[in-house]
Amino acid sequence: MEDSSYPELVEHFVQAAQIAAATVEVVNRDAQSLNYALVKNTVDDKEVILSLPVDLSSALFSVFMNNKKVITEPSKEQFANIKTGITDAFCGIASTGSVCVPMTNGLSSPASMLTRKHIVVVDAQTIIPRPRDVFSEKYLSGKGLKRSFSFITGPSATADMGPLVRGVHGPEKLHIIVIEG
Amino acid sequence: MNNINDYNIRPRDVADKSSKDSLRKAIKLALDVESDALGINTRSFNSKRYNAVKAIDDYDELKNQAREIKESAIENLPALIKQVTKTVETRGGKVFLAKTKEDAVGYIKDVCLSHSAKLVVKAKSITSEEIGLNHILENAGIEVAETDLAEFILQVSNEQPSHIVAPAIHRSRERISELFKKHFNTELPLETGEELTEFARNILRNKFLSADIGISGANLIAAEEGTILLVESEGNIRLTTQLPAVHIAVAGIEKIIPSKKDFGTFIELLAASGTGQQLTSYTNILEPPLELPVLNLNGRTDERREFHLVLVDNGRMNMREDEGLKEALYCIRCSACMNVCANFQTVGGHAFGGECYTGGIGGAWTVGTSGELKKGRFAELCTGCSRCIPNCPVRIDIPGLNTVIKNRLIKSGEPSLQKRFFGNFSKMAKPASLLPKISNWAASLSFNRELFEKILGFDKRRKIPEFAERTLTSLYKEHTRNSRQAENGNDVKTKIVLFADVFTQYNNAQAGMSIIKVYEGLGLNITISKVMEDGRAAQSQGLIESAKKSAVKAAKYLEKLIDEGSEIVFAEPSVLAMVRFDYAKLINDGKLFTKLKQHTFDAVEYLNKLSEDAVIDLQDICKNHTQNEVSIFYHGHCQMKSIGIGSVVPVFFRKLGFAVNESTAECCGMAGSFGYKKDYYDLSKRVGKYLGEEIIQGSPEVILASGTSCREQISGELNREVLHPIEFLEKFL
Repeated sequence: MEDSSYPELVEHFVQAAQIAAATVEVVNRDAQSLNYALVKNTVDDKEVILSLPVDLSSALFSVFMNNKKVITEPSKEQFANIKTGITDAFCGIASTGSVCVPMTNGLSSPASMLTRKHIVVVDAQTIIPRPRDVFSEKYLSGKGLKRSFSFITGPSATADMGPLVRGVHGPEKLHIIVIEG
Repeated sequence: MNNINDYNIRPRDVADKSSKDSLRKAIKLALDVESDALGINTRSFNSKRYNAVKAIDDYDELKNQAREIKESAIENLPALIKQVTKTVETRGGKVFLAKTKEDAVGYIKDVCLSHSAKLVVKAKSITSEEIGLNHILENAGIEVAETDLAEFILQVSNEQPSHIVAPAIHRSRERISELFKKHFNTELPLETGEELTEFARNILRNKFLSADIGISGANLIAAEEGTILLVESEGNIRLTTQLPAVHIAVAGIEKIIPSKKDFGTFIELLAASGTGQQLTSYTNILEPPLELPVLNLNGRTDERREFHLVLVDNGRMNMREDEGLKEALYCIRCSACMNVCANFQTVGGHAFGGECYTGGIGGAWTVGTSGELKKGRFAELCTGCSRCIPNCPVRIDIPGLNTVIKNRLIKSGEPSLQKRFFGNFSKMAKPASLLPKISNWAASLSFNRELFEKILGFDKRRKIPEFAERTLTSLYKEHTRNSRQAENGNDVKTKIVLFADVFTQYNNAQAGMSIIKVYEGLGLNITISKVMEDGRAAQSQGLIESAKKSAVKAAKYLEKLIDEGSEIVFAEPSVLAMVRFDYAKLINDGKLFTKLKQHTFDAVEYLNKLSEDAVIDLQDICKNHTQNEVSIFYHGHCQMKSIGIGSVVPVFFRKLGFAVNESTAECCGMAGSFGYKKDYYDLSKRVGKYLGEEIIQGSPEVILASGTSCREQISGELNREVLHPIEFLEKFL
C-alpha cells in the first residue's frame, strides 16, 4: 500500500470504504459535477446542513450553495432536527476507506454527528496509504499533526444489542464523494 | 430488580473476589446464565482479530514499536505528566493529577457543581468505573447518563462490565430485550437489534441535547501536544466531547505517551487487536478545549468551551515501582487477551474479573488499583496457557503477572495443600509409581476420591491420572537391552536426547517410548535424559521460587547435553514451552536461554526439520500405510501455538499425505492441573465440551493431541482414544 501509485490509492480507497459500509462515487473537479452529485444524494431532503469547506476550495461548492435547501447557519432547532449534513475532509485513507474530518473550525463536527446521513467530499489527491501516515510530516505537509479531527470509517455502528446495527448515535449512512481530475 | 437466576445472585454481589466463595458463585452464575452469549461474542472478536492482524503487513514490527514506546513512557512517566500538564494548560485547559480515586471523584464533582450541572453524559471509561464516579455524582444530585449502549445496558441492569471493550458482552439480545421491557415498562416492540438500538438512541439523544457536561476517558494522551486519542464505533464519544461546552477527560497516568506522532503506531494495532477491524467507525484525535462553536442546544448560555484533564494515579505509581506488576502498565486496553482466552470465552469478566478490570490482565490491574491482593484472586482462572502473549499488541506476559499474584496469595498465608500437591507432583509421583498398580487402585477407590476432593480439592468426577505400569526409564532400559538399534546408531549423526520430564516419566511413558521407537526406526541416534523436574508444575501453582530452582538446574543440565553436541526433543509441549519461553525470566541468563531456544524441539517439529534438511526421507514413514483413507483431527496445544509451532504437526502429517482437520479451540480447558480442581471442574468441562463438539463435527477416524492434559480432556469428553502424534506414527513403522 505504501508504494501504491495515485490511481491505485484511489481504487483501494473506494473498495475499502465500501467494505466499511460507506457508499462512494467519484466526480469531476468542477462545481457543476459536484452540484449534480450533491443534489442527487439529497433528493429526499427538504433541508441540508452544509458546513462550509475548510480544506477544499469553496468554488467547488458555488453552484450547490445556491440551492434553496442548503443551510449554512442552522438554528438550534435545525441542528437538532435536520437529517443530512455535508462536510469536506482533509484526507482519505486508502487501506481503510476512512475520511479525516476536522473537528475544529466551523460546523463539520455537528454536521457529521447529529445527522442521520453524512455526505463528505474529499479530494482524490489527498488520499494517503495508511492511517498512521496522517501523523507523518511526509504526508499532507504535516496537516494531520496540526488539528483536531476524526478518522471516520463507515457509518456509526454497534454490536452491543446483539447483531451489528448501523446508525447509533452518529449517522447511519456515510456517502463519500471523491473529487478527481 | 431483574431476576436473573435461580439463586438470586447478581454479578455485582460477587464482583469483589476477596473470598473464595464469591469466586465459586461467580463461576456458577456465569456458566448458568452468561456463557452462551459470551462464547459467541468473544469467539467472533477472536476470529476477526486473527484476520485483521493478518492484514497489517508489518504487524510484528508495529508490536515491537508499541512495546518500546510504552516501556519508555512508563520509564519517563513523571516527566511526561509535567509535560502534558503544561501543554494542556497553555492551550487553556485544566489538568488535575489525582493521587487517589477519592481525589479524582472529588475534583470532578466540584467541576460539576461549579457549573450547577444537573445532567452529565458519559462515554465509556473503565477508569471512571475504577474510581466509582457515577455513584458519587448521583449522591450529589447529578444525573449521570451512560451513553455507550453497552454501558447504558449495564446502568439499567446494575451490573459491572464483563469485558473492558464490550462491557455487556455477557448479554444476549434476548436478555437485553427482556431487561428493557421490564425496566422501561413499554409496549414498544423491542425484539430486534435495530429496535433495541433505536429505542436506546432516542432516550440518549435527548440526554445529549440537554446535558451540561460530558465526561470521557482517553485511549492515549500525547504529552508533547496534549492530544487525546479516543476510539469508538457508536459516535457517543464524539457527542460527549463536542456537544456540551464542558468536557472532562478522566484517564490513568499510564495512558500518556510522548508524542502524537506515536499515535500512528497504535491506531491500527488497537482497532485490529480489539474489535478485529482495520479502524473502528470513529478514531478521534482531539486537542481540547476545541475551537468549535458552543451550540448550547440545551438552552445554557456558556460562551466558551472548557476542558479538564483528570489524570488518575490511584496505585499506578506503586505498580511502576513493583517489578512483579509493572508490565501491566503497558496495557492499551484492547481486550485481545480476553477474546483469545478459553476460560474467559466461557465465563467472561463477571467470574474472570473484579469490580471493573477483567480477564487475564485484570488481575494485576485489580490488585494494583485497589491495593488489595485478595481482590485479585480471580487470577487463579489464568491457567498459564499463554495464548494471550503473542496476541497482545504490546507482548505483555500476562500469565507471568498472574503467577506473581498466585505467588503472593500463597505467601500472604493462603493455606493450600492443593497447590503443594500439584506443584510438587514429582515428589509424590516417584514413590507412588514404584507400585503403580496399588497406587492406581488406591486412587480409584471411591472413598479415596472423596478424600482427595476433601483434602486436596481434587474433583472426584475426574479420573485421577494413572501411573504408568512402567516408568519411561525402566521401559527404555529394557528396550536398549533387547534391541541393537541404539548400539548401531551411526556416530556421524547428530545425537538426539529425549527429555524425560516428570509427567512423561511416571504417567505417560508410552508416548516417550513411541518417540524413541519412531526415531530409531528412521535410523536416528536417540537416547533419553535423566529424569528432571522442569519447573512447569510449580510455576502453574504460583510457586515461583521452586520453579526457579528447578529451571536453573534443568537449564544447566540441558546446556551440558547441548555442549556435548546433542539436540533435545520433548514429548510434552508445556515443558518445551517452559524452556523456550518461561526460562527467559526464570534462569535470568540471556546467553544460555538463547542456546536452549536453538537446541530444543517438539518431537514432531524436529522430524519436520530433519525432513526439510533431507536427513530423513518421508517415504520411510509413508511406505507402510494407505494414508489417504485415514482422516485425522488434531487439537493444537496452547503453548505450542504460543511459541510459534502450532501448525507444525498438521503441516507434517499433511506432508505424509493425511487429511488433517484442526481445532479452533484456543485451549482444551484441562491445562495441566486446572481441570482437576474441584472449584474449576465445571468450567474446565465446559471449555472441553466446546472442543469435543468441534471434533465430533469433523467425524475423524483418528484424534491426535500433543499435550498430555489435552488428551485426557478430550478422551474424557468423547470417551475415545486420543494419541500423541508420534504414537500414531509408530503404527506405520
